[in-house]
Amino acid sequence: MKPSLIPGCVPSSLALALLGFNSPVVIVLVVSVVVGLLMVLLFGYTSDQKAIHVAKDQLKAHLLAVRLYQDQLPVVIRTYGRILRGTGRYLRLAFMPLLYVIIPITLLVVQLDRYLGTTPLQTAQPFLVTVRTAEPDVLNDVALQLPPELAMTAPAVHVLADNEVVWRVVAEKDGTYDINIAAAGQTVAKHVLVSPDVSRVSTVRLRDHFWERMFISAEPALPDKSPIESIAVTYPPRVIEFAWMEWNWIVLFFVLSMVAGFIFKEVLGIEI
Amino acid sequence: MLLLLATLLLYSCQRASGDWDGEHKLIILGIDGMDPQLLNKFMQEGKMPNFSRLVQKGSYHTLTTSIPPQSPVAWSNMITGMNAGGHGIFDFIHRDPATFDLYFSASRVEAPKHAIHIGSWVIPLGGGTAEQLRHGTAFWEILDQHGIPNTVYRIPSNFPPIPAKGFTLSGMGTPDLRGTYGTFTFYTDDPMATAGMVEGGQTISVQVQNSQVTSQLIGPSNSFRKGSPAATEPFTVSVDPLEPVAHIKFEEQEFVLRESEWSGWKPVEFNLMPFVNVRGICRFYLKQAHPRFELYVSPINIDPADPALPISTPANYSKQLTQEVGEFHTQGIAEDTKALSAGVLDDKEFLEQSHTVLAEHRRVFDAEFPKFRRGLFFFYFSSLDLNSHMMWRLTDPQHPEYDAASAAQYGSAIEEFYQQMDQVLGEVLPKLDDHTTLLVMSDHGFAPYYRSFNLNTWLLDNGYIALKPGVAADDSQPLANVDWSRTRAYGLGLNGLYLNVHGRERDGIVPPGADAAALLKEIKDKLLAVRDPKNNLPVITRVDLASEVYQGPYAQSGPDALVGYNRGYRAGWKTILGAFPPDVLEDNSNPWSGDHCMDYTLVPGVLLSNRKIEAQNPALTDIAPTILAEFGIAKAKGMMGQSVFQPDKASH
Repeated sequence: MKPSLIPGCVPSSLALALLGFNSPVVIVLVVSVVVGLLMVLLFGYTSDQKAIHVAKDQLKAHLLAVRLYQDQLPVVIRTYGRILRGTGRYLRLAFMPLLYVIIPITLLVVQLDRYLGTTPLQTAQPFLVTVRTAEPDVLNDVALQLPPELAMTAPAVHVLADNEVVWRVVAEKDGTYDINIAAAGQTVAKHVLVSPDVSRVSTVRLRDHFWERMFISAEPALPDKSPIESIAVTYPPRVIEFAWMEWNWIVLFFVLSMVAGFIFKEVLGIEI
Repeated sequence: MLLLLATLLLYSCQRASGDWDGEHKLIILGIDGMDPQLLNKFMQEGKMPNFSRLVQKGSYHTLTTSIPPQSPVAWSNMITGMNAGGHGIFDFIHRDPATFDLYFSASRVEAPKHAIHIGSWVIPLGGGTAEQLRHGTAFWEILDQHGIPNTVYRIPSNFPPIPAKGFTLSGMGTPDLRGTYGTFTFYTDDPMATAGMVEGGQTISVQVQNSQVTSQLIGPSNSFRKGSPAATEPFTVSVDPLEPVAHIKFEEQEFVLRESEWSGWKPVEFNLMPFVNVRGICRFYLKQAHPRFELYVSPINIDPADPALPISTPANYSKQLTQEVGEFHTQGIAEDTKALSAGVLDDKEFLEQSHTVLAEHRRVFDAEFPKFRRGLFFFYFSSLDLNSHMMWRLTDPQHPEYDAASAAQYGSAIEEFYQQMDQVLGEVLPKLDDHTTLLVMSDHGFAPYYRSFNLNTWLLDNGYIALKPGVAADDSQPLANVDWSRTRAYGLGLNGLYLNVHGRERDGIVPPGADAAALLKEIKDKLLAVRDPKNNLPVITRVDLASEVYQGPYAQSGPDALVGYNRGYRAGWKTILGAFPPDVLEDNSNPWSGDHCMDYTLVPGVLLSNRKIEAQNPALTDIAPTILAEFGIAKAKGMMGQSVFQPDKASH
């Protein structure tokens, strides 16, 4: 197997060693519990706990007032106004700590999605390589060069309407491979991962599109002057079986980390 | 604690049959359409070594089939031990005598009865229903009652599957997602192709623009919308301008197909209303990329991994199977015979699809059979039946559709499917021991289908059907333009002959009783006298009266007589649905060229066992009592036969 060529990429074997598991559901469970705990701790350290405690107490008092004085309409109306103001105060107190929590979680989710969002390719499982060019006249010049372990199983399809060329490819052996795309005298590479393990996957290599690259690509940008806009590989989406249901890992992560957060909040006595 | 254990032990002993030792096992291979003449021929030629070995070491008989010898009827006989009078399945299609509406005999799927209408939306109040119409007690229900473990794979006439403790998967009778017995879709830019519905399919005209085709997959009727239009899912096909290859994209999926290549199963979701989707699976076949665009899409099957209708017990069994062996056809008649008949698939393409179906069955068999430890294991194979229907013409130079060139290429197709059944048997034989009984059985045999007899046209010509004044006979609509006030008899289904009985049919005129009996005898005598002018052979060799051959609570619900055609003859395609083609007799020009819906004595099935079959004339109705007897259970009330391992059987 060739070593990873992606700069800054944590090799998948190391990541797995760090996590210690090769089961997606276990990884999601562990990460959710740890993130739930860290969220609560971070929130506790970055928030004004006393002020939040007071704000929540006042909200509870106003809610009680609505029930106690429900036969006195002017009191109920005034209390609803206080509830609205109290809710605003509570949200203001929670906003900054939530911001501290959301930013690292977003970055974590983006990174984890490269491991858990899709599954690596399997041997003998056909996949597509799609190259999009900036100009339609380059389409006929685009060529795919494969390592010996990968093979094309159909001629290229030139999709004129989308400036794309699509190849169907199959892998004979597990490994991390580079496929080369030649166009207009230039050659660029794209990573392809064939493995039964949970590994870091980059579904697309892009030219420009900084933010898109941040979120969906795990490879460096294509050269600015490349005639190729993107090279995509169809990795199958991962579905996680948990509690007799099929889950997208992000949904499962949010559900489990929320549950863990609520448990740790009680255990650690942190006001949220 | 000891008391609890003792109680549990006592309970488990009571649950199990008193005579079952817990060790005895029964394996049944149900091979639809295995014909004794063909089996004998292939065994004599040394092409079925495992069957030959079973015959030498065990026993082999022909098996009397059902009246009429149609698969839903025959398998219902086998399942219940009763004839059609007991289980109520007389044909593939039945009619409502009050309305003359035709419906599938085995099951009924209905939308919710009550709904609220808001604009173009229809909000149902309650769920729809899927109802099995076969009556009688299935043998595995009785095994369940006695605590005998069982697996019953794809037995026909079991959709939706009846509640069961064992593992069952529904078979013939299971609809596709559109609620039909299978509707393919064919997309083409050929200006000569006629867009619209054909039997068992739909042709859709498309245009190739900028090397791209945009169209829609056709899903089930959307009962959430006013008028229940078909739910659809758009898809795009990009055809390479030069190479015979295309890229197909829909929903989140994309794949590449070469010309003459099949895709694997592709899941497709149809949105019925916000947050309400129904999921199916289908396969694509790029028949041609250039110069004409031709794309076949299989009937949308119920997805076994996420079934929209119940197809298994327990409900998640189909999902478990999918996880073990991958997606598979769930539609009852999986081989797309209609696409071959319509000319959408050719012989090679049909056989490829048929081999895929059998490969799926064998994958499931290979996954499930090794797990079999106790009780009953039943496994059904459809391949011999459907391929004998479609490929007979290439084995028989007398057939009007015989083609020497095609015969040279595909004439051995039926034989190859028989050999695959021999391979399956070869997997079973080494597993047999002193505690295991094996039955290999078929529901009927096979015969050529050279000529069609149009029963309704004959009834019209002989004055039993009268048309409304001034209108001509319609060869397309069911019983169109019939003057019921002057009509005494009509034909529906493959073998059914009905009288227009007063008090039963909507506009019945024939008094029940002696008058009806006399009329039946008159028609029977005339039918038996019909000769084919082409060869002077009798077209019909027997006519069985329902009153003489059916017993049970539903004996009066079906046809009044069953027309038994001679070998080589069958009811014509249009007369089955009550239409009036111009000629009484015509050549069968359909690729559907072998059949069994004839005189039941001409198309018996087969019964083989590793034990000695004592019965001299075993019948399908003996199978259920045989299964029960193997586990020491007395046959249920209403069952007609008896174990084939007992001598001196009673009449069926």
